[in-house]
Order: sequence, then C-alpha cells, then structure tokens
Amino acid sequence: MDTIANLAHGFAVALSFDNLLFALIGALIGTAIGVLPGIGPVATISLLLPITFGQPATTAIIMLAGIYYGAQYGGSTTAILLNLPGEISSVVTTLEGYKMARNGRAGAALATSAIGSFFAGTVATILVAASGPLLTQVALSFGPADYFSLMLLGLIISAVLAQGSVLKSVAMVVLGVALGLVGTDVQTGQQRFTFGIPELSDGIGFVSVAMGMFGIAEIILNLEKPEARSVLKTKVGSLWLTKEEWRRATPAVLRGTVVGSVLGILPGGGAALAAFGAYMMERKVSKGRHMFGQGAIEGVAGPEAANNAAAQTSFIPLLTLGIPANAVMALMVGALIIQGIQPGPRMVEAQPDLFWGLIASMWIGNLMLLVINLPMIGMWVKLLQVPYKFLYPSILVFCCIGVYSLNNNVFDVYMTVLFAIFGYMCNKLKMEPAPLLIGFVLGPMMEEHLRRAMLLSRGDPMVFLERPISASMLAIGAIALGAMMLPNLRKGKEAAMAG
Amino acid sequence: MKLNAKDIAAGTFLILLAAVGLWLNQDHSLGTARRMGPGYMPMLVFWIQMGLGGIVLLYAFFNGPDPLEKWTGIETGTLALGVIAGTIAWKVAPVFGEFFASTYNAIGVGMLVGFLVICFAAGWRLIGYICAAMCVFALLLEKGGLMLALVGTIVVSALAEPEHRQRPLGVLGMTIFLLALCWWIFIKQLDIRVAVWPQF
Repeated sequence: MDTIANLAHGFAVALSFDNLLFALIGALIGTAIGVLPGIGPVATISLLLPITFGQPATTAIIMLAGIYYGAQYGGSTTAILLNLPGEISSVVTTLEGYKMARNGRAGAALATSAIGSFFAGTVATILVAASGPLLTQVALSFGPADYFSLMLLGLIISAVLAQGSVLKSVAMVVLGVALGLVGTDVQTGQQRFTFGIPELSDGIGFVSVAMGMFGIAEIILNLEKPEARSVLKTKVGSLWLTKEEWRRATPAVLRGTVVGSVLGILPGGGAALAAFGAYMMERKVSKGRHMFGQGAIEGVAGPEAANNAAAQTSFIPLLTLGIPANAVMALMVGALIIQGIQPGPRMVEAQPDLFWGLIASMWIGNLMLLVINLPMIGMWVKLLQVPYKFLYPSILVFCCIGVYSLNNNVFDVYMTVLFAIFGYMCNKLKMEPAPLLIGFVLGPMMEEHLRRAMLLSRGDPMVFLERPISASMLAIGAIALGAMMLPNLRKGKEAAMAG
Repeated sequence: MKLNAKDIAAGTFLILLAAVGLWLNQDHSLGTARRMGPGYMPMLVFWIQMGLGGIVLLYAFFNGPDPLEKWTGIETGTLALGVIAGTIAWKVAPVFGEFFASTYNAIGVGMLVGFLVICFAAGWRLIGYICAAMCVFALLLEKGGLMLALVGTIVVSALAEPEHRQRPLGVLGMTIFLLALCWWIFIKQLDIRVAVWPQF
C-alpha cells in the first residue's frame, strides 16, 4: 500500500527531534490557551506566525497545528471544573461536564473528554491520511472555473455557518475580498488602492489583519468585561470510569467522531460547530437523554470527541484543495505562503514531508496531549490563577514584537493598530470577523482564477455553468444560501449557536 | 418602528466604503470580460458590497430594535478633539527634528496624541491606552531599542486597568519579568534583528 509507505515516511519526519519538540511546544501552548479564557487559537497562531518565519515549513505547520487541536483539549478542562469554557468549542461541555463535576465525577468527565478526544483524533487523522491523496487526484482535474466556483462555495458556506446574521457575514466576506484587492495587480503590475505607500504594494499584511482583529481587539473587549474567575471548589476525584460510564460513553464518542469529522470538512465548520452538532445529536438519540441536565456523560463524550475530530479534518480542504475551512485554516494558508509554499493539490506531491509529516505528527500530538492533560491536570488549573491584568500586557508586547519582526518595519505595527480599531468596531456592530479573514485570504486567488477562466472561455460567463464540477458547486452554494432564508432552519441554527 | 441602529451603522459603513472604492477604481482600466484589466474585479466586488450594504440598511428598519451603546457628550467631544489633535500633531511633528520627519514617525506621533486625548473619556479609555501603547512601541523601537520600547508599551497598557494604577509595584514586577522573558525568547532564542539598547 502506498499510503502505508507514505505514512511510514511521515512518521520518520515527525519523529525527528525538532519536529517532536515543536509538536510538544504546540500542544503545550495549545493546552495553555485552551485553559485560559480570553485568548483563543486564532489570536495565538497569528501571534506566533512571525516567529515561525525562521523555521522549516514542516516544523512551523506542525507546531501551529498542535496549538489548534491542543486548545480543544485544554478548553474542556476549565469547562468541566469551573463551568467556564476556555474556548467556544467547549461551551456545550459546560452543560453536562460541570454537572458531573458537581456530582463528584469531575475526574470521570475529564477522562472521558481526554480519551474521547484522543480516539476521535486518531480516527480523524486516519481519515485525513486516506482521503488526502484521493481528493488531491480529483482536484488536479479542476480547471480555473471549477476553482473559482469551489472558492465561492467555500465563502458562501463559511458565511452561512458563521455566528450571527447571514447577510452581514456575507457582507464581511465581500469586505475581506475587497481588502485583499489592495496591492500590485499580478497580471499588469499596476498598483491598486495603495495610496503610493510602498509597504502596501505587496498587499495589506495578513498578520496585521489577523492580529489586529483577533488579538488586540479581543484584549480590549476582554478588559471591558469584568473579570469572572471562580476558584476551583470541586475535587477532581478518580479518573477511572465505572463500567456503566464506559458503556454509555463509548457510543457517544463514536457518534461524536462521525459528526465532528463531517462538520470539520465543511467550509466555515470547525471545532465549535462540531461540538454544538454533536451535543444536539446526543440530546436526541442517546440512551441517557433523559439524564441530560443532571450530568449525563454522553453530553461530555459526544461534543468533546466531535470538536477534536473537526479540528483534524478541517485540515482536509486546506491540504488537498488549498482552501481554508475556517479562520484558523486561513492562518495556516498565511503561514504556508510566508514559507513560500502555495497551498493546493500539488502540495502532496511537491511537499511530501510536510503533508505526511503533519499527519503523523497530529497523531503523535494527540498522544502527547493525552499525557499532558490527564496526569498533569493540577498544573493547568493553577494556570487559571494568573489574573488577566497580568496576561494582557504580555499578549500585547508579544503582538508588537511579532508583527514588527515580520518585515522589520514599524508600518506593520501601525497597520495592526488600525485593524484593532476596525475589529473593535465590527464587534460593536455585530459583524463577524472570521468570514472577513477567509475572504481576505481567498480573494486574490479567486481573482486570478476568475480572470484565467474568462480568458479561456473567451469572455463567456456561461463556462461556470457548463462545466459540471463548477455548476454543482454553484448549485450547492445557491441551495445553502436559499436554505438560510427559510425561517425554520434559521431558528435551528440560532438555537444551535446559542447552545 | 423597530430600528436596528447597529445594522444601520453597518450598512452605511459598507455603502460608504464601496463608494470610496468605486471612486478610487476609476484610475484602473476595466478591460473586457475576456481580458479583465486591473479594475474589473474591484468593480465587481465593490458593486456587490454596495448592494449588500443596501440590503443590510433596508432590513435594519424592520429587524430591530438593537440600539447602539449611548455615547456621552464627553465621548463624542474627545473623539472629535482626538482626531483634530492627532491630525495637527501629525502635520506639525516633522518640524521638531529629523527623527519626527523620517519614515512613519510623524503619523505615529499623530496617532499617539489622538489616542491619548480620547483617554479622557471613560468609555474610550481601554481602546485608547491599548492603541497608544502599540504606538509607543513603534515610536521607541528603532531609536530607543527593544528594552525601552517594551517598558513604554507595558506602562502605557497598564494604565488601561484601574487595579494597576493603585499598585505600581505590581506593574514594576510585571515589567521586569516581561523584559527578561522577551529578551530570552526574542533575542537569545530567536535572534530577531532589532536593537536591544538605545542607539545614540
């Protein structure tokens, strides 16, 4: 089997000293920010992007990936012990997990969440390994028109599934594409919207946008809210599950893995949506559904398995098609481009070390996280005692140094300030920043494919409907947009988002 | 009336930005659908954005009420004052010497002055101090070195949190800790190309 040989190669790459070390660093940072409310994976990864500049591409991506799935593990710890979700993806875990902790089963809830996450991570990693090369083969037959439609579909779905109003999310996507227009036109070399500023000729800095809107704006918003930190009152207790708990948790983990894997691949999906989806499912189908609200183990096992599965499978569209499924993946595209790698179907062939090494390291990272989280739980709980008033100046100086060192230019720092204000304003107007980031990353690629497709078709826009792949993408996009106009579905989504 | 003030602001913002974009786009040749020029995609994008802004604005009259946070007189006043003071500082700064005339330092001074002015209003204090702290970093870094820039950033950002103002010793401890940490990570380990100590 080719895949097995490739995976063996991947493990050889992932087991090198540097890659192991940075997978561990990523997993540790991920767990830490997962535990800490107020800083999420998007802000952290954008903060660390400039630092990865000097690393080999594979090592950089392995570390950044570790942060993303590490955060899924860490987020559940505080959700269960303190009723305080460290990440959005662990909001639903608080519902049953904290109840279990109150019933004296905190240890069991933590164990379920870690073991469920590990199992789901393993399955999802195998899925990535198996489907990656296959999808890549399909993607190689894509023409420019198909690519354009695929990206359009990605943008539509990411807007439809975003929190809040679909209409405003679509507008944010378009705004992101508009911001991506700034810079030198690839085909004619003409400067567009640069106002004669030389720093803008390569476009608005991706790190400035991400760090400003997610990192800095979030600091300001967190400071506005009065600090709500409760002290750990519950005892962790035994980490072992009873036979009865095993029997109930196992099917929930299996269901959560499936739901998470599917929702992770969808553009705009990702860990948070997967956890909500799995929770809704458990409440409907699990045997313990009458126990919900009193500390049902299914309500921990399902969502926790789902959010970790989704964190892994959301790499599939990125690695095979070069299309980011969510804001974290948009940052990964940024990281790859900084490294001089164009994400897309050719990556599997051109960068086998990166592709297979990343997959192998995901599994190794999950194994590390199991160890990091279960025996060392006490250490992470201690971390919560660092008050935010000491945390935010640290985040701020890291952001400043990081954004400056990208180009050694203070211009980027001022740009970040502007995007921080913009991000703050968007939050006050209930405009979601995540779709903007995805539009910003995909915009330039879409323009290129649009121009190529129209050149090939001699200016006939019907090409988008004549090619079957392209036409079906557009049809799915239209259905997704249309479906959200239906009041029933919209209410369902709102309920799911509100948890 | 069920006015959604947030959506009215959002829709107006989208429309205005699209209008500016379309106006700026007049400099770029459109080309034809077959051979698109540099202005074709911007034209499409900004028209779509204007349309979406219009729809957001239209719906805003029905899906409310969702009012904006009320601005006090002081907040509106300091915002206007901050913009004016910042612009003046930006234009006047180059007079004060070579440093203020070079690269982006003049605009940095302008932004810093503006952000500090809006801090007089309680509602702007957080955003004002945090943004001002970043401007201090950018202004101090190249001449003053990393250490001085960090001290400035940490002290200004600490002003945003009332508890820090009552306990200056905590800020001192945090500053020393962060200086050591940043030196270890960025200079010792990552060796970024930046001056550590003041350059004269």
